[in-house]
Amino acid sequence: MAALWGGHSCFISPMRILASFEWSFIWDNRDQLWGGFKNTIKTAAIGVAGSFLIGLVLGAVRAHRIPVLNQLAWIYVEAIRNTPILVQIFLLYYGTPELGIHFETFTVAWLAITIWGGAFNTENFRAGFEAVPPRLREAGYALGFTGFRTFLYVTLPIGGRIALPSSINTYISVLKNTSLMLVIGYPELTSVASNIQAITFRTFEMFSVLAAVYLAIVWTLSALIRLLERRLALPEAL
Amino acid sequence: MPALPDWFRPVAEYMLREGLPETLRLAAIAVTASATAGVLLGTLMTITFRPLQWLIRLYIEVWRGLPILVMVLFIYWLPNYHVGPLHIQTEAYKSAAIALSLWGSAQVAEATRGAVQSIPKEQHEAAAALGFGWVGRLAFVILPQALRRLLPPMVGLLVNIIQNTTIAFVIGVNEFLQAGNRQFENLTYETGDGHPFMIFGFVLLIFFVISFPLTRLAAFLERRLI
Repeated sequence: MAALWGGHSCFISPMRILASFEWSFIWDNRDQLWGGFKNTIKTAAIGVAGSFLIGLVLGAVRAHRIPVLNQLAWIYVEAIRNTPILVQIFLLYYGTPELGIHFETFTVAWLAITIWGGAFNTENFRAGFEAVPPRLREAGYALGFTGFRTFLYVTLPIGGRIALPSSINTYISVLKNTSLMLVIGYPELTSVASNIQAITFRTFEMFSVLAAVYLAIVWTLSALIRLLERRLALPEAL
Repeated sequence: MPALPDWFRPVAEYMLREGLPETLRLAAIAVTASATAGVLLGTLMTITFRPLQWLIRLYIEVWRGLPILVMVLFIYWLPNYHVGPLHIQTEAYKSAAIALSLWGSAQVAEATRGAVQSIPKEQHEAAAALGFGWVGRLAFVILPQALRRLLPPMVGLLVNIIQNTTIAFVIGVNEFLQAGNRQFENLTYETGDGHPFMIFGFVLLIFFVISFPLTRLAAFLERRLI
């Protein structure tokens, strides 16, 4: 095993790490880290809102099999889900100037995660809307609702509820993917921490900041999913 | 169809010869390690012994909660802390493999727990009535059924891991995206025009060609096996 991994091993004693850990180091860099955190939240917020809108609209398009748009949405979803987001970021950042479009790093940051999250969310909402039994829609039509109103008052409230937990999972991934903006030099939390680490070698201090922030947000959202699954569970099986 | 420009052939050859095998090797290591560790941890989690369940739950939630990039960076930074950066190339490759395996094993463990618990209790009882011990029940009765249900998510994991190997780019592993980027930088340096749109478009295309059949396979297995 050792030979496979290149021969040498390093042992880092927990006591040495604890002894050399300096909390003041995090405090000294608080301004930079806080700035990075704000950029992460800002990017993620746009990404979540954007992927919610895309998912809602294209999910409805896919579920109702609206011709042409349905096929276009399918191509979009498959193209995004089957390629790495990092390559999509590269194409957006380095590729678009060749086409005469110049994006700022922040634009690429929110655009990339919005496009990515939108594709995954389309599938979440499509599955949610398709899980609504046809007889409920038929009931809507029988009451004299138009197709759009049936969607608004019947399919959306029920299907949206079914899609909510999986769509929050997508938002969690959208947030985690903001860390990839390190490669284009957008100063979000991970790239700020990584820059500080590169200068100072305070690996454990920087990693504990990253771990605390990401885990706090992700775990809160996961708890929210479990709560919503209980609270929003449909009163009876459909 | 327009003919491919002259510069493209050597670039694509370098990427496919140098970069792609590295990507596939990294993915193979990570998938093997994740499947082994994940099935083991997921099975252990079905034992009703609270401290062990909590420990594995913590393991799963930590590695699933962190962005893979943060894990890759942390594991890559570790040797710098006390030992100093030795064998940069090996170290980067190793860090990426470990980070991807930790993330993947957490995914597999969660899926395995679900699959094992989805096997009806009667199967356990029937096997016990036939005189199987705990290990025999799991190995010959429960796991063969659970692994069948695990196959579609495993193929999904393979796709995810292949795509996430690109994160190793950040620490300098010469995987497919890195190979493309190096060619892009070379061309920019030598001719002034790096053709980024076509090079990264080619990277995207190759990943799509690999992933698309696999996601179809996962969807097919899901319909067939469940």
